Amino acid sequence: MRRKLIAAAVAASVFIVGCGGDRKSSTTTTAATPTSDSMPAPDTTGAELAALRVPGDYPTIQAAVDAAKPGELILIAPGTYHEAVQVSTDQLTIRGLDRNTVVLDGKFDLDNGIRILGAKGVAVENMTAMNFTKNGFFWTGVDGYRGSYLTTYRTGDYGVYAFDSVNGQIDHIYAAGSPDAGVYIGECYPCNAVLSDTVSEHNGLGYSGTNSGGNLLIINSTFRFNRAGIVPNSGSYELCYPERETTIIGNLVYSNNQGDTPAIDVALLAMGNGIIVPGGVLNDIENNLVYDHDKGGISLVPFLEDDPNDSVPAPEKWSMTCAESKQVRPVDPGGAILWDSMQNTVKGNVLENNRGADILVASVGTDTSTLGNCFAGNTFTTSLPKNIEMLAPCDATGTGDWADGAYDILPWLTEVHPPSVDWKTSSLPALELQENMPDAATAPARPATDVPMTVDLAAITVPKKPA
Amino acid sequence: MTCRRALAAVAVLALTAAGCADSDGNGAGVQLHPSTGATSLGQPDEPIAGPQGAVPQFVVECAYSHAASDDPIVAPGEFGASHLHAFFGNTAVDAKTTIESLADGGTTCDQPLDKAAYWAPALLKGLEALRPVKSTAYYRPGLSVDPTTVQPFPVGLVMIAGNAGATGQQPLSIVAWGCGAGIERSLLPPECRQGRNLRLLITFPDCWDGAHLDSANHHTHIAYSSKGLCPKGYPVPIPQLQFSVEYPVHGSTAGMELSSGGLLSGHADFMNGWDEAKLKSEVELCLHRNVVCGVASGRKSG
Repeated sequence: MRRKLIAAAVAASVFIVGCGGDRKSSTTTTAATPTSDSMPAPDTTGAELAALRVPGDYPTIQAAVDAAKPGELILIAPGTYHEAVQVSTDQLTIRGLDRNTVVLDGKFDLDNGIRILGAKGVAVENMTAMNFTKNGFFWTGVDGYRGSYLTTYRTGDYGVYAFDSVNGQIDHIYAAGSPDAGVYIGECYPCNAVLSDTVSEHNGLGYSGTNSGGNLLIINSTFRFNRAGIVPNSGSYELCYPERETTIIGNLVYSNNQGDTPAIDVALLAMGNGIIVPGGVLNDIENNLVYDHDKGGISLVPFLEDDPNDSVPAPEKWSMTCAESKQVRPVDPGGAILWDSMQNTVKGNVLENNRGADILVASVGTDTSTLGNCFAGNTFTTSLPKNIEMLAPCDATGTGDWADGAYDILPWLTEVHPPSVDWKTSSLPALELQENMPDAATAPARPATDVPMTVDLAAITVPKKPA
Repeated sequence: MTCRRALAAVAVLALTAAGCADSDGNGAGVQLHPSTGATSLGQPDEPIAGPQGAVPQFVVECAYSHAASDDPIVAPGEFGASHLHAFFGNTAVDAKTTIESLADGGTTCDQPLDKAAYWAPALLKGLEALRPVKSTAYYRPGLSVDPTTVQPFPVGLVMIAGNAGATGQQPLSIVAWGCGAGIERSLLPPECRQGRNLRLLITFPDCWDGAHLDSANHHTHIAYSSKGLCPKGYPVPIPQLQFSVEYPVHGSTAGMELSSGGLLSGHADFMNGWDEAKLKSEVELCLHRNVVCGVASGRKSG
C-alpha cells in the first residue's frame, strides 16, 4: 500500500510539471497529513484554485452545495463532517482535498453521505463516507455522474449506488461493509457507464447490478472477501429487466466465501461464487482471474422469483430501453417466474480452485443446452456440466452430453448459510490509507460531462495473482 | 366478528374490557371501542402494485415496536379501549399519545427522523398475536398526480385508512393482502411460500382539505384522488402513504384473524411525527424531482 501511494504521488507531481499546470500550487505544502514523514502528503490547501471552500467559505458541505452554481467546484478540507448532503444542482464537482481525512460520518443516524437527485453531471471525488444508514454515495435519476477516489465503510445498503442513472463513471473506489453491494449500478438500459479500478470487499455482494446493462463495463477491479463477487441479476421487483449486455473484463475475483458479512437474501443465496449471473443475458465475461470459491468461479444460474411483479419479457423485448419499459403495464404472471441466464459469452478467463466447479451452468426445468451461452479459451480444471467448452463453444457447433455432470441447483434454495451480521458491527479490516486522486488541490472542476471514459477493451489482459 | 373472537382478543391482552355488548352485526364494527364505520371519500383508481422504479418515492422501513389495546386517534386517553394494535415507528405510543408527545419517543424506523406512529390491527392465531416481521411505508404521489404539486403532510395530521368495522369486501386499492414483494393483491390472505412473508397493504388518502388535522370520524378531512386530481373540497395533494405490515405467515391462514375481526377489516392509522424539515426535503427532493430515493425490495434479510 505504502509503495503504491508513493508511486501515485510521484506520478501526480510528474503530471503537474509535465502538463504545465499551476506550478505555484504544486509546490504548496501542508501540515495536515495522516501519513508518515516519508510519504509526500497531498496538498490540502488548494489556495490558488477558484472554489467554494469548506469550512473556509462555508461551514458545511451542504451550505457550499446550496450556494454553488452549475460548473463550480466545492473543495472540502480535511475534517469529519456529520452531514447527509443533498445535491440538486447540475454539474457540480464536489471534492475532498484528502481522500483519507475528508470524512463524512453518518454516525449511524444519517441516511446517505452524498445523495444526488436528478442533477445532471455531478462529480464526487476524493473523500470517505462511513456509518451511514443507507448509502455512502448515491446518484438517482441522473444523466451524467462520476464518483472517483471514494472510500465507503460501513453503510446500511450500498457503498456507491447509481440507480436509474445513465452516462456514468465510477473509478478508484474502496468499498467495504455493506449488506448489499459495495458498488451498484442498476435499473438502466442502456447504462453507458464504466466501473474500474475498484476494490470491493467484506460486503454481501462485491458488485450488484439489477436490470442494468448496455455499454456497461466492469473492468480492472478487485472483488474479494465478499459473500459473492460480481453479481448482475434480473428481477421484476424493480424496472428495466432483464439484466443484459454487461461487459466484465480483467477483474481479479477471489475468496468470495465470506460468512461474517452483513447480507441481503441474494447475498446469502449467491454465497461462495466469484462471478455469478442470476438470470442475466447477453453478458460478456472475459479475461478475469477467478479463484478460491466454495461454489462456482463463473456461474450462469437462474433467478427464481416466487413473488414476481411481472412476466419475463421475451427476447425480442430485450432491446427496449429503460425509459420505454417504464411505460409498459406489468402483468401478474399468477405464479413464480424463472429468469434463465442466457446467451452469455465466457472467454479467456483463468479459473482455479473453485470447488463446486470453475464454470457452472444450471437451470430449473429448462434444458441448459438451449440457453445459448458459450465458452472458449478459458483456463480451467472443472466445469458442470463437464467439458463445457466442447458442449458450447463460441464459434463452432457443440458436441457432447449435457447430462454428464449436469448441476442440480435446487439445493441452494434450502441450504443454510451463516446468517447476516449487523452492518453496524460486522467484522471489517481496519481502514487503510487509500490512494488520493492526483492534484486534488489544483485540478480544475471536472463535472461529469465527459463520462464514461474511453476504454480499449482489447488491451485488457488477465490480471496477475496478488502476492 | 363474533363474541368468541372478541373474547379471544381480550384473552390475549389479559385486559378487562367491555366485551361484546356493542355488537350490532351490521358491519359497523364490534370493536371494544365502537368504530364509526366511516371511510374517506373515494378510493385509488386501481391497486398500487408492480415493480418499483417507475414513479418517484421515498421509503421507510420500521421494525415492530410493541402491541397495545390502545388507539390514540379513535379512543384518546382510554387505555385498553381498542382492539389489539401492532405499533411501528414511534416507540412511545399509547392511548394518551398526542402529536406533541411523539417527539419524546424513539423510532424503530431506518429513517431516524421519522418518528411517526404507524399502527395496524394485530393478526391473531387463536389466542396468540403474531409478532410482525416489519413494516414498510412507501411515500409516492397518488396515481397520475403531478409530483411537483404534492405537499408534505401538515404538522399534526392524523389519518386512518380502511374500515376497522368492515365485514365485507373493502376496495382492493385501499386494503389488500399479498406475498413478499409481489404484484398480487388479494381480498383474503394468499398462501405465501416459505421465505415470502404474508403482507397486509393499506393505502392512505392522498388529498387533504387544507384546514383540518383530524375530523370527527377521522376520515372526512382527507380523500383519495382520481385520474390524477383531488376531489372538490380537498385541494391539497399530499404524499400517498402505502403502509404494509409483514407477518411470518406461510401457507394457510386457517384459524387466523385480525384483532378487529375476521380478515376483511384491514385498516391502518398514522400520526405524523416526521421531523418537519426532513419530510419537506424528502417531498421536494424525491417527489418533486421525480426520482426514486430508495426501494424496498422485500429481499432484505434480517
